[in-house]
Amino acid sequence: MALDSAVRQAFEQALSPADVISDPVQCRAYECDGLTGYRVVPDLVLLPRDAEQVAAAVRVCHERKVPFVARGAGTGLSGGALPVADGVVISVSRLNKILEIDPVDRRAVVEPGVTNLSITKAAAPHGLYYAPDPSSQQVCTIGGNIAENSGGAHCLKYGFTTHHVLATEVVLADGTLVTVGTDTSEQAGPDLRGVVLGSEGTLGIVTQATVRLMRVPESVQTLLADFPSIAAAGDVVSDVVAAGIVPAAIEMMDTLAIEAAEEAVHAGYTVGVPAALIVELDGPAEECGVQFEQVKAICEKHGCTRLHIAGSADERAAIWRGRKAAFAAVGRISPDYFVQDGVVPRTRLAEVLDRIAAMGAEAGLRVANVFHAGDGNLHPLVLYNADAGETEQAEHLSGGIAELCVEMGGSLSGEHGIGTDKACSMPRMFSDDDLATMQRVRAAFDPDGLCNPGKVFPTPRLCGERPGKYQAHPLEASGKIERV
Amino acid sequence: MTSAATVLRPQDLGEVQAALRDTTGPLQIAGAGTAATWAGLLAPVDAVLDTTALTGVITHNPGDMTVSVRPGTPLAALHDELAEHAQHVSLDAARIAEGATVGGLLATGDAGPAALVFGSLRDVVIGVTLVLADGTVARAGGHVIKNVAGYDLAKVVHGSYGTLAVVAEVVLRLHPVPKAAVTVELPCSLAEAAEVAARVLGGPTEPAALEWTSDDLLLLRIEGTAAALEARTARVRELLGAAAVVAGGSGSSRDAGGAAGAGGADGAGGADGAGGADGAGGADGAAINAGGADGAAGGVGGAGHAGGDDPWARHAALTRGDPAAAVVRIGVRPSRLPALLASLPVMAATAGLGTGVATVTVPAGAVADVHARVHAAGGTSVLRARPAGAHLPAWGPPPSAVGVLRAVKHAFDPDDRLGPGRFDPWM
Repeated sequence: MALDSAVRQAFEQALSPADVISDPVQCRAYECDGLTGYRVVPDLVLLPRDAEQVAAAVRVCHERKVPFVARGAGTGLSGGALPVADGVVISVSRLNKILEIDPVDRRAVVEPGVTNLSITKAAAPHGLYYAPDPSSQQVCTIGGNIAENSGGAHCLKYGFTTHHVLATEVVLADGTLVTVGTDTSEQAGPDLRGVVLGSEGTLGIVTQATVRLMRVPESVQTLLADFPSIAAAGDVVSDVVAAGIVPAAIEMMDTLAIEAAEEAVHAGYTVGVPAALIVELDGPAEECGVQFEQVKAICEKHGCTRLHIAGSADERAAIWRGRKAAFAAVGRISPDYFVQDGVVPRTRLAEVLDRIAAMGAEAGLRVANVFHAGDGNLHPLVLYNADAGETEQAEHLSGGIAELCVEMGGSLSGEHGIGTDKACSMPRMFSDDDLATMQRVRAAFDPDGLCNPGKVFPTPRLCGERPGKYQAHPLEASGKIERV
Repeated sequence: MTSAATVLRPQDLGEVQAALRDTTGPLQIAGAGTAATWAGLLAPVDAVLDTTALTGVITHNPGDMTVSVRPGTPLAALHDELAEHAQHVSLDAARIAEGATVGGLLATGDAGPAALVFGSLRDVVIGVTLVLADGTVARAGGHVIKNVAGYDLAKVVHGSYGTLAVVAEVVLRLHPVPKAAVTVELPCSLAEAAEVAARVLGGPTEPAALEWTSDDLLLLRIEGTAAALEARTARVRELLGAAAVVAGGSGSSRDAGGAAGAGGADGAGGADGAGGADGAGGADGAAINAGGADGAAGGVGGAGHAGGDDPWARHAALTRGDPAAAVVRIGVRPSRLPALLASLPVMAATAGLGTGVATVTVPAGAVADVHARVHAAGGTSVLRARPAGAHLPAWGPPPSAVGVLRAVKHAFDPDDRLGPGRFDPWM
């Protein structure tokens, strides 16, 4: 072990000996998050019981220059919670209390280890819910959601985690406890809350959050529609948007994803169709009713081959079960897979899917597509067989798809984060000066770089001596954005 | 600011960079000047960087509902341009009618009644290009509405009052202009309004704005499709009681011009209101200036109907407040807002009953006490207008993260060039 026993004793003193795990076998349980290709066994795992203990642990890290990685449920898909060698993991799993549900001001105060869905469950008796709904919402924690600025299927209308977290209590890298954000959207001074949101655990450890709760909409209408082509389904999305409708969700699946999902959960999807759309509207009953009729008409106009309208809450749940199971279900049709998370401008969806199909064919690998069509956030699933030696090829294809999204004027990641996975691709999207300016923010919060090092930003160790060269962003090249 | 300050008026990003890189000494960043007196009093500067030549849309993708603009673009002008696509930025801050620029609105973190649904600019900015004090040009975010790559530098400058960097380009998410909108007015005290608001927010009507104004009116705006509006309006009026009437103006302050003509003082019924507002929807852009003219003409000065018949123009005038007194912006847990306002020597006020954000005009001598009371209620406050030259406390007690604020300031602007005095005494 690289950390000496004096360090371990300092942590044991800050917490209690029972809350400091040093047994390598036990530590191995923390070696990776949902991106299992990257593994590092931490030297120690700390299990604090409250914010004060988190702060005490971080103070030890600060004094002894020990790097630390915060961890929630470990469901992240970008290696954001990957431990660092000679460092510690600080798990917030024991900070799992819902401290307050305030139905009058419609907010909840929660600890970071609380799962996303349990907030909604606690709010439900008041007719309220917590809006961001990542697919992993049953197990992922709000602390992780804050780190990644998680989205979900309904973020087209309701926004991302950053739109729903009013304030967070944060343990900074020197162990001080501060609050960023306020009880309202009004803040005195810069929005440090919004800087911490989505910083992937590199600016501190969140120990408490105040989140907005929304009133459960009066009416929800959901349809599942089959189309003869991805392009036809894409046209529906465009027309819905052009009609001034902002659906609660608008999701697309391609034929491979439909097949996998249907095989797994028998949700009533049509196996064999080229594309399926899920469109969900919600709001006041009159409003929702008028717009739903418009959406149905748009589907029919574009050659919809089957229109299934959820007639009950159970039928709606079945449609969503299929969509949300799609990732895991792909495991049924392929031994291994990578999930990508790139974003393209919505109007380029059909084009990017053609390019992905061509790239897949060239690599000799299948790619299933499930995506948030309303906001252009793709989740291509690159299917491969590690035993057949396809891993490297699949990694290459997967990274190529993310970078293709940047080339098309989009982003490397819509909701999974950069983490370890895409840090080396960041120079494709940002210039040296962009990244150096972000690093100034980083250094202002954490001058010693102890807080989740090696994530978000490319490092020579991770990416080779010279990180990939910056190329003019296509919008820049075409004169649509300016750079000097 | 001293009269000797040099005015730099860059024409493009390169000139912004040069203006910072090739100069030293303290510098003020200025847009249209609609918030020039907000926050701390500016200390003397050598130069003023005027962004008003940096105007216009760089790229608008109607299908993607995103737009990138230069920072000196007045938001009202941007709305004019977007109107033909029936799109807009979901922001209705009171000073937009006075010509406030996109960069200035971001730097002040301003918002209006629409914040109830859409939040402030922090919630619709998806990308930003900044120029730091040393001339470094940095871009963050992008042109897609969903994007978590890298730090969100737009949030760093949101509410920074020109102290951290020059905002050189802003990329915004757009929303559809509502097809129809109607505003229902209920004459009532703040206490009554709070009670009604709680009932409304606990129900399914989903108002687009819910504000109390100190001329003793509760304003409730509904937006949506024309076909559903009548039924939704009827439900709201039932909830508000017999005293509630459909307002003469349109749904939003941006629609003021078009609807003022259509509506007049007619409070006859939901259908009329809906029809008038519907017509105004398409004329959104064209109506901006008309609304602005109304608002600018109306003072506060105790007049019950500043800004004419349009309720939102009146609301904007009350929010801008009386420049001869002091104006303080307040945010506090919504349920605490009525009692807090009742404890203040309010001359004029607008209060977001769902958002917890209020803007109050108070006597200059009361500002320190206002900060203290807001802080005691767990809220935040900042001084906006002040009588010319008056030295009033701009901020309440510093937040716990003030050390981080100072560190970010030092990292971005180590020589303390930008906006000296704005955050006095915090940093």
